Amino acid sequence: MSRKVHSMLGWIGTPLVLAAIAGACSGDPQPPPAATDYGPRPPMPETAAQTGAQRLTVAQYGNAIRDIFGKDINVPTAIEVDTALDGFVALGASVSTISIQGVEKYEKAAFAVAKQVVADETHKAMVLKCTPSGPDDAACAKETVTNLGRRVYRRQLTEAEQIRITNILLQAASVLGGFDKGLEFAIAAMLQSPHFLYRPQVGEPDPARPGQVRYTSLEMASRLSFFLWNNIPDDELLLAAEKGQLVDDDGLAEQIDRMIESPRAREGLRGFVTDYMHLAHLDKLSKDPTLFTYFSPELGPAAREETLRLFEHIVFELDTDFRDIMTTKQTFVNPKLASMYMIPSPSDEGFSLVELPSDSPRAGLLGHASILALHSHPRATSSTLRGKFIRDDLLCDPIPPPPANVNTGLPEASEGGQTLRERMKPHLTDPTCSSCHGLMDPLGLGLENFDAIGRYRTTEAGAIIDPSGQVDGVPFKDARGLGQVLRDSNKFAPCFVRKVFSYATGFRPTEADRPTLNTLTWDFRAEGYRVKALMKLVAMSPAFRLAQKPQ
Amino acid sequence: MKRTKLSRRTMLRGMVGGVGVAIGLPALEIFFDRAGKARAADPFPKRFGVFFWGNGMLPDKWVPAKTGTSWDPSPTLMPLADVKDKISVVSGMKVFTGSNFPHSSGAVGILSGAPFENNTDSTFVEPSIDQFIAAAAGQDTRFRSLEMSVQRAAKGWSYNGPHNQNPPEWSPAAFFNRVFVDGFVMPGSMVEPDPRLPLRQSILDGVMGEATALQGVLGSADKARLEQHLDGIRALEKQIDKLQQNPPALVACAVPGKPLDDYPDIDGRPQLSATSRVLVDILVMALACDQTRVFSHWFSDSVSNVLFPIAGVDSGHHQLTHDEPGDQPKVHSILLYIMEEFAYLVKALAAVPEGDSTLLDHCAILATSDCSLGRSHSVEEYPILIAGSCNGALQTGVHYRSTSSENTSKVLLTLARAMGMTLDSYGKGDGLVTSSVSAIEV
Repeated sequence: MSRKVHSMLGWIGTPLVLAAIAGACSGDPQPPPAATDYGPRPPMPETAAQTGAQRLTVAQYGNAIRDIFGKDINVPTAIEVDTALDGFVALGASVSTISIQGVEKYEKAAFAVAKQVVADETHKAMVLKCTPSGPDDAACAKETVTNLGRRVYRRQLTEAEQIRITNILLQAASVLGGFDKGLEFAIAAMLQSPHFLYRPQVGEPDPARPGQVRYTSLEMASRLSFFLWNNIPDDELLLAAEKGQLVDDDGLAEQIDRMIESPRAREGLRGFVTDYMHLAHLDKLSKDPTLFTYFSPELGPAAREETLRLFEHIVFELDTDFRDIMTTKQTFVNPKLASMYMIPSPSDEGFSLVELPSDSPRAGLLGHASILALHSHPRATSSTLRGKFIRDDLLCDPIPPPPANVNTGLPEASEGGQTLRERMKPHLTDPTCSSCHGLMDPLGLGLENFDAIGRYRTTEAGAIIDPSGQVDGVPFKDARGLGQVLRDSNKFAPCFVRKVFSYATGFRPTEADRPTLNTLTWDFRAEGYRVKALMKLVAMSPAFRLAQKPQ
Repeated sequence: MKRTKLSRRTMLRGMVGGVGVAIGLPALEIFFDRAGKARAADPFPKRFGVFFWGNGMLPDKWVPAKTGTSWDPSPTLMPLADVKDKISVVSGMKVFTGSNFPHSSGAVGILSGAPFENNTDSTFVEPSIDQFIAAAAGQDTRFRSLEMSVQRAAKGWSYNGPHNQNPPEWSPAAFFNRVFVDGFVMPGSMVEPDPRLPLRQSILDGVMGEATALQGVLGSADKARLEQHLDGIRALEKQIDKLQQNPPALVACAVPGKPLDDYPDIDGRPQLSATSRVLVDILVMALACDQTRVFSHWFSDSVSNVLFPIAGVDSGHHQLTHDEPGDQPKVHSILLYIMEEFAYLVKALAAVPEGDSTLLDHCAILATSDCSLGRSHSVEEYPILIAGSCNGALQTGVHYRSTSSENTSKVLLTLARAMGMTLDSYGKGDGLVTSSVSAIEV
């Protein structure tokens, strides 16, 4: 299923409410400063972003389980699904609640994990450091619960918590006859705790800013690890947190640097990109294989891998200007993608870095099968879906939904073949449609040289495709030109900063966050648009470190 | 919106010679059959369901020509010809809560009678009708409600309130396991004591304690989110309680056949019919075995662009509703397909005897969509079907046509009252109504 036009998700990109009337598509009334006109650095405001208790996403849940109990644990995936808000599950995690069935599923998953742990000596050894003398070995029970609890709760257990879970262990061991049985129930108890499943953040008075609240050192550990790693803190981060180092500028910077250089940061980036580019939808790509001979179930996952690897490459290997993702000739292909892209495959299996030929029609993200296929219909391209993706996700220009009761029918393709551009004409000439479609379709039509699964083509229905157009008055010739215009657009980098900030804080930025975003954008530019630098800028920012008082 | 418990609860005890014996509460409701003959309240519990599909319909092919009891199925409703006496058509109604958000406004309006919250977050402000009714009618069964969807990872529209969604189960195997394998106790059997059950409950007690303590330090939005989590834990504790009781026998109850592990796409097209039917078969027994009394079946999502496995249908459903020219024969063939599946549900319920009537006679099922004409997302001339007489509270076999574009919330009020809830009004804002659709009430 492609993402949806006219759906409830994604219309509401900014705090502004736009009436759905002709002419409503005015975009952001306060555009960010133009790239060439930054002026002096605006001071970094000391305002907290929104505060809330995010529920662990499905990915974070799995990462946490593997981190605590071992990489080869079979993590139950049938837990409550993530819901997206503004296209981000990271934002949905701040507001969504859980259904009754979701609670059932958490219980089932907790026992499924716990059973695996006690059934396997290697796994068990990761959590059981003492040798129990019998089912009633209270000392070993307490030690085990204390150690494991610190990983699961991402902090030391309180005495009351430790006593309660130790009692569960001993009670189950006694009733069911065996320390292992007790351990199973203790693990299952911890994995159902709201302290594991949610990220409760309350904060403490900030000694440096009277009247304001900052996150505690331990809360910062979880904030950092979920933002940068999409996972729970490791032991070193917990130790630093316990020593109070994460409420200290130098201690915090030191840990952030370590975290960004850690291999876990790659998983973290993948988590962000998956969310930001909606790549999870590639698992259930619905395309008609009778029409697209290159389509097969492995196309979606392969296309996702290409996009993830390119992001990783630009951020970690090259550590270069992020905007190049729109224009680069480098990408990653496996044999499946190579044949679809009509280039020689560098290897018989797996992914390799390739440099696309200079005359290749593809360049950057807009040449990726992932993006092209996600924003298409099962059997046809969609200039609206593709244009909307560019507006929503790359430029942060919100597009309101179509007006009520408008006839959305388009004229039929006539005999002799008609291209999508010709069929979409009413969108761009009828004033009811053109106020919004004029923002989307001309961009989407620039990608018409790629079909609904991302294969290159020059004709449609026998007619030559014209992929030229303009973005807010700046002309382009084809998809490569469109990528270049977007890269150089003064909306592209500020939009990316906004997306990273939303993801990091778990909330949609409000008007109060605008000054923070402006300064972050200024600093991002000063740092050569390097994503690693942006991660640190966000993690060090007062907005990320200060909490709002509970309301 | 006023919440009330069911005006009475119907308890089931063992069947004596195939006749249900109601005990516990006096029968308060006396209703009349068509001949005006009073009869005692039906001893069987009332059930409520929603059958939903995305992308609306074609009004010209949907609305039956005649009204009253002599209606003949319209072209779209032909698949329901065999069960026409068990169904009422309500036409000419309008969603009053706005239509600014295509597909969402209509779905939220018809299902909750309240506006769609779109200023900051796209979500429901009030529960959907299935959950509103489940809060009253779902308290005595193992599951408060069951939600299932034919499409993988479909969203559905079952909400308890803002951001509080009940994601439907799309895997027949998982649905079967949940209802009939994990902790299912056959009505009429004696349970063996299981020492793990009290241990599970003591874990849940601890989790509840932790969540309650957390509520004390978090902001109000997070407090409310944890309250929903607590609701889930309470429901799970009740399920575990049920596993330690001996459930009364039910003649109609049988474990359905085990579904396949997977129903993979064929040539890029999902097996919608096969998947829907196997889910329905499990659901029907979940109702007959009194595991739940409230359900929602999300046949397809709003804006669903699924490629229907129909010859000649060469595009996704949503795309066709907008792009197919003329009178949209391909869209029509999709609607016939969907109505066939609704008919399957109705017939499957009618095939289960309960006392001297059928399971269907103890149901009220609302079938509807996210808009009227898909091409324009209109919310006038809304598609509304109601199946089952809900223990005689609803008339069936009637086509009621509103001549004044009445508020669709009236249908929700009718359904909630038929289920036994005492309500003065239903809905919120422009969706608020104080009267029901009396033409389909008994």
